[in-house]
Order: sequence, then structure tokens, then C-alpha cells
Amino acid sequence: MKITIFHYFIRQAMVNIFENRLVHLIGIGTMSIAFLIFYTFILIFVNLNYWTEEQGRSLTMSIYFKGEPDRVLIENIEKELFLFPGVTIKGFVSKDDAMKSLRRKLGDKAGLLDGLKENPLPASLEIILSRDKGGDSLPYQLKTKLEKIDTVDEVQYSQEWIRRFQTVMEAIKIVGMIFGGLLFLAALFIITNTIKLTIYSRKEEIEILKLVGATNRFVKIPFMIEGSIQGFLGGAVALIILFLVYIIVITRIDIRIGFASLDIVFLSPQFILFLLFISVIIGFIGSTISLGRFFRT
Amino acid sequence: MIQLFQVYKNFGSKNPALLDINLTVKKGEFVFITGPSGAGKTTLLKIIFCAEKPTSGNALVDGRNLNRIKDRELALLRRRIGVIFQDFKLLPRRNVFENVALALEIMGFPFYMIRKKVHQTLRYLGLANKEGYYPPQLSGGEQQRVAIARAIVNNPLILLADEPTGNLDPDLTMEIMALLKEIHIKGTTVLVATHSQELLKDTTRRIITLNKGRIV
Repeated sequence: MKITIFHYFIRQAMVNIFENRLVHLIGIGTMSIAFLIFYTFILIFVNLNYWTEEQGRSLTMSIYFKGEPDRVLIENIEKELFLFPGVTIKGFVSKDDAMKSLRRKLGDKAGLLDGLKENPLPASLEIILSRDKGGDSLPYQLKTKLEKIDTVDEVQYSQEWIRRFQTVMEAIKIVGMIFGGLLFLAALFIITNTIKLTIYSRKEEIEILKLVGATNRFVKIPFMIEGSIQGFLGGAVALIILFLVYIIVITRIDIRIGFASLDIVFLSPQFILFLLFISVIIGFIGSTISLGRFFRT
Repeated sequence: MIQLFQVYKNFGSKNPALLDINLTVKKGEFVFITGPSGAGKTTLLKIIFCAEKPTSGNALVDGRNLNRIKDRELALLRRRIGVIFQDFKLLPRRNVFENVALALEIMGFPFYMIRKKVHQTLRYLGLANKEGYYPPQLSGGEQQRVAIARAIVNNPLILLADEPTGNLDPDLTMEIMALLKEIHIKGTTVLVATHSQELLKDTTRRIITLNKGRIV
């Protein structure tokens, strides 16, 4: 008997969707827009989070030299640096290379440099430090050690900037969660009202079902299944649109912060499944709320 | 089977729809409720199947006090009451088979049993060749018979019929009345609300007459 009723609920939900396809299409369209806003926000949030973590994982250190250091000195420093875990040599930049690089960056305005009598740019050795392997104290240790070498003028690294950036990101995360929560409620509100439309369009049918002895549960379950299916389809459509927009954005737009190009990542398959699950849950909760209101009136 | 004690129903207007109704219908009885339009016949039936609650007084159906009945109990009680509505109340987007099957589906019958019972009932009512039709494709008489089929398919204890022959020609009227009598013979308590004096002519059944909400 249980299987028969379950079969009835599923069949009824499918029949209702087919018979009221226009109302459902409008509903799914509205839901898709609500979900799209919510998921776009999640995608931006995921990317900011990913980017901070990537940036925080490693940092670049520049060792500036007085004058032009000889090859042996550089090799000795490199050998010493290799003794530290998590150190990768990015490369040596001579005074001339630094000037060439600056001219390239200035482009049309490179002529400004022609008036200089001598090259003021220092030669440098660029290294990358892995935070995971080297630990938090590594940059400071290296800086102290390297600055003791006579030919080394100054050692600079970007950790301070990263730290400040991470503090801002923590704040963004909190604001993001509040904003995300509000968007979730907005999506739920829109969906609840959309499902209410489908329920009210079948008011007479519900009345007849009740008059011939249907329990509230019997009337409600097909609507809940419909709400869940609507949620799933609305979520799927929103994710497809979001993916298409993502493809267009990554192929056409290069997002930069300073000189660093920002990689935009899409949601992982697991996260997509999770969002689809959330869509189903929102559809289910939305229909439950609408039905609750309908049965109270 | 049905007991009404000092039932009073007012929808908010000056004149109450029902006034001081005391009524007992025994198991297996066949009762006509008659009276002019607006006398309170439909309201009385609505109180019996709990589509309306009395403003005051008590109504007991199959031992249940309808003033204190819970939602689930009400649903279970309605499964034991077949109702033939004046306006049929068929689902226009479900075919004849599905409309009749509805009364069994809500009770959780397995599909093979639903199919068997619905076929039997439709054959009994002469609708065997109409099961794939939708209500708008049927005549008034056929729709009436579908409504009867839905009301009797689960062998109810009580059958309430509100103007069951209201829109029918004399031949169909006699046909429907013969069906109701047959259902009654099988043990169902039947209450028929009608304003047609033609139906009551020569009847030996109990007749309850309502006028301006009172039993006269």
C-alpha cells in the first residue's frame, strides 16, 4: 500500500507539472533568476576566498644588491638559500634587466628614462617562499640573515601586504556570509510566492480532494515533490547560465590586482552538487511554507 | 448513524440558514430532505459531511462529534461518506477513470484493486465505454453518473445526494433514482436533498421538509 501511495505521489507530481506547464515554466524562470543572483554571489565569494588562500600560501622576496653582484656571489647565496625548506629561486634580475623591464612596462612613456645619467635600479634576486613548508617565521629569518651580507642592500617581501589583505578578506567573509544569508532568504521568499501561485491555481482541485476524504498530507506531498523538482530545475538552469557567463568572462576579461593576474575558478563538481541539493531543499521548504499558509486560510 | 441536536447555522445574514434542527437518521434508512430553494437543504448536507460547522448545537455522524473532530479523523470519516454534489465537483483535467479512482487512491488501495473496483462501478453505472473521457466531453447525465460512481466506489456507509436529478430529463431522473435505491438495498444509508415534488410522489420513504431553515 505504501508503495502504491508513493507511486501515486510521484505520478501526480509529474502529471501536475505537465498539466500546469506554463505556471511551472514561469515558476522555474523566476526561481532561476533568484538562484542566479544567489549563486553569482557564491561564485564571487568562492573566488575571493580561493585567491586569498593562494596568495597567502606563498610570498615573493626580493634581495636587492649594492651595484652589480658577481656570479659567484649569487651562486653562493642561492646555495645557502636552498638549505631552507620551501625556498624556490625565481631568478636573478641584473640592473640592465630591471631597466629593460621598466621600459617595457612604461611602454610609450619609456622616453622619460632617457634623461638618466646612470641606471638607478638595483640588481635583485627574486625568490618565492612557501608558507606551508617554511612556516611563518622563515621570511624574517632570511631577511635578517641576508641583510648581514655586505653586498646586499635591502631585503623586501610582501607578507605585510598579504597580512593586511587577509584581514580585509576576513571582514569580507563575515559581510559575505550575512549578505549570502539575506540572499538565501530572498530566494526562499521569491520561491515561496512562486509555488503559492501553483497552489492557488489548483485551489478547486485541493477542495475536491479534501471533500472526498484526502488527508492534508495526501494533498500536500505531491506539491512538495513538485516544489523540489521546481527547485532542482531552477537551480540547474541558474548554474548553466552562470557557467556560460563564466566562460565568456574568463575568455574576454583579464582581471588584475596590481600586476598580478587574477585566476577565476568555477565551482567544483562537489560544490555544484551541493548547490543543486540546496536548490531542492529551498524548493521543498518553499512549498512547505506556501502549503502551510494555504491550509491555514 | 446521523444525529443532529439543536443545530443552528448562521452565515452572518439576518436569517439563519438552519434553525433548531433536531434529526436522527438510523443506519440503513433512505431519507428525502425537501423544501423550496434556500430552505437549508444543502447546508444541512454540508454539516453532515463537515464542509460547514454548526454555529451552535451538535452533529454526530457515525458516533463522531463534528464539533470536536480533528483533521485526520475528519478525512477518515469523509471516506465513509459518499457525496454526490449538485455541481458534480469532478476534476476537469482527470478522465472518468481517474476521477472515480481518486476515492480509492486516497485510501491507499493497490492499483490492481483500484482498477478492478473502478471498472466494476463504471460498468454498473453504464459508463464502461467512457472511462477515457474527460468531464467536459460528457453530457450532464453522464457527469452525474461519474459523480455517483466516485461516491459509491468505496462502499460508503452513508450516501448524501444534493439535487442528484436537478439537471436531468425525466428518463434519466428515474434511472438515477433507481440506482440510488439499488445502492440503498445494499445497506448504505441514503439522504437525498431535492426540491422536486415529482420524486416524492408515491414514495413510502421518510421525508424531512425544511422551510426557512426549520424542519416543518
